[in-house]
Amino acid sequence: MAKKTYDLLFKLLLIGDSGVGKTCLLFRFSDDAFNTTFISTIGIDFKIKTVELGGKKIKLQIWDTAGQERFHTITTSYYRGSMGIMLVYDITNIKTFDNISKWLRNIDEHANEDVEKMILGNKCDMDDKRQVPTARGDAIAREHNIPFLETSAKANINVEKAFMNLAQAILNKTPGRVSEPSGVNIGQQDTSSKRCC
Amino acid sequence: MAGYQQRLKSFEDILEADVIDLKALKNLCFINGCPHERSFRSICWKILLNYVPVEKDHWQDDLRKQRNLYKQYIEEIIILPGKKMKSKESASGELVDHPLNPNPDSEWRETFRDNEMLLQIDKDCRRLCPDLSFFQQATDFPCEQLLNATSTVETLRKRVEHCVLQSETVSKNRLGITFNLVSKKRTHSEEYAVLPDGKEAHWEVVERILFLYAKLNPGISYVQGMNEILGPIYYTFASDPDQNYREFAEADSFFCFTQLMSEIRDFFIKTLDDSQFGIGSKMNQLMDMLKELDRPLWQRLQDQELRPQFYAFRWITLLLSQEFQLPGRLAQWPHSGASAQWPHSLTVLCVFIRLSLRHDLLKGDFPNNMKLVQRMESAIDLQQVLAKARELSRG
Repeated sequence: MAKKTYDLLFKLLLIGDSGVGKTCLLFRFSDDAFNTTFISTIGIDFKIKTVELGGKKIKLQIWDTAGQERFHTITTSYYRGSMGIMLVYDITNIKTFDNISKWLRNIDEHANEDVEKMILGNKCDMDDKRQVPTARGDAIAREHNIPFLETSAKANINVEKAFMNLAQAILNKTPGRVSEPSGVNIGQQDTSSKRCC
Repeated sequence: MAGYQQRLKSFEDILEADVIDLKALKNLCFINGCPHERSFRSICWKILLNYVPVEKDHWQDDLRKQRNLYKQYIEEIIILPGKKMKSKESASGELVDHPLNPNPDSEWRETFRDNEMLLQIDKDCRRLCPDLSFFQQATDFPCEQLLNATSTVETLRKRVEHCVLQSETVSKNRLGITFNLVSKKRTHSEEYAVLPDGKEAHWEVVERILFLYAKLNPGISYVQGMNEILGPIYYTFASDPDQNYREFAEADSFFCFTQLMSEIRDFFIKTLDDSQFGIGSKMNQLMDMLKELDRPLWQRLQDQELRPQFYAFRWITLLLSQEFQLPGRLAQWPHSGASAQWPHSLTVLCVFIRLSLRHDLLKGDFPNNMKLVQRMESAIDLQQVLAKARELSRG
């Protein structure tokens, strides 16, 4: 058996309307870069990042989904296995915020009951085009008892923090935090690729 | 070089005939694709997608008719409703129909629905093939009908600006408070500046084509990804060496796109996902075929739970168009369409792509394999895969 390269594996999911910046947030977090020229995600996309938290190496497997309604049958099948879900809206587009409750219902319907959630108001660098006041994001998050952050993938505001907080929340309730992860197959893990796996 | 000249000559021979030998043309196109020179590619696609008949003496007439028909679509779907909206805007007093009319027959309801769709198309077209500057550039042939009518018609561009504004107003009303909103029009992200009036970027033309298609095909409307399918067709036609073709790139692309969609539209319809023709069963077919051809690889993917939904969904819906970069992939695309049996050839092609990744897939872990199937362009030799896929299609 190859040498273990991580202690825990967390599966995260990014959801929200199309164009709110899910892919950009993920790219900022995984590659620490910003790209304005992302094509639309079709179906589902995937990235891996290993982080350290509480002395543990945690491998985050992050699924990025397509926003349009048509893809929901495909994407909701990923809700079940996710341990954390990021729900993203765009602060410059009120419609994407109005849909938050719809996305929350989706989570209730398809995800595990104990899934950790987080609401992100993205594009907070574009304050001159803001349509959703911070207070409204705060209010809906509080109403559902979900942590909330405003982020900017472009200006690199709160992106790392968002992912780390979500991972921390999952870690906090991982049973037997010190014990070996069960059912995680690290098979022929390539130990040389330190960064991405 | 001599080989290439020879190839061009082969195209010339086939295309020179009064009645084109379709079978010979398909064979010629399948593996090495169509060369761009002398409009061969744009002509071949028009023939292969069944937009023009094999009898060449019909072309001129047919093309003229179709292009006129397209003008009519613009008139009916964009200009007339655009005039209506404009006149409603200025009308005062007795309004029979108004934005808050709850009547399901209210034209406003349809308008709002359309606006939603248009905004989605707009988002996707702005980010179409971002690595290529082409789509951001101005076209030499903007839509004359609309240019001449801008003062009295609400164009798609204005409509997009308009509905972004409307949503701000709504947000104020609902809360009953007024935000400290900057009341200037929301300009779109700096990266994709809209060109001055009278000019149109290529992506705006693509947007119009998709909007017309969605309006004419309400059962399918617009689904993300259609932009990626239309993109290469429009790019090919709008960069044709022959100006006589370039000028009508918009109308020609519309009809070729419609033809292509007629063969694959079921993949885009959610309610058909699990039916015999939907994408669900298509993905099952892919797995079955793989199981037959290479059981160990199939088993490996099963064990890893590397489901076809993770990658083949995109391969199939987009006809592999997101997997290979423009303009390189143009030589091939839509190569298999040439066989006139898109759905089947596509299945075969997808299976062979996996087979050609076999070596890596068998030794990789789940994340590495995911990366591989999602970004495979550099890992496979498309030419070779096509050759093999063709063998199987025939046998």
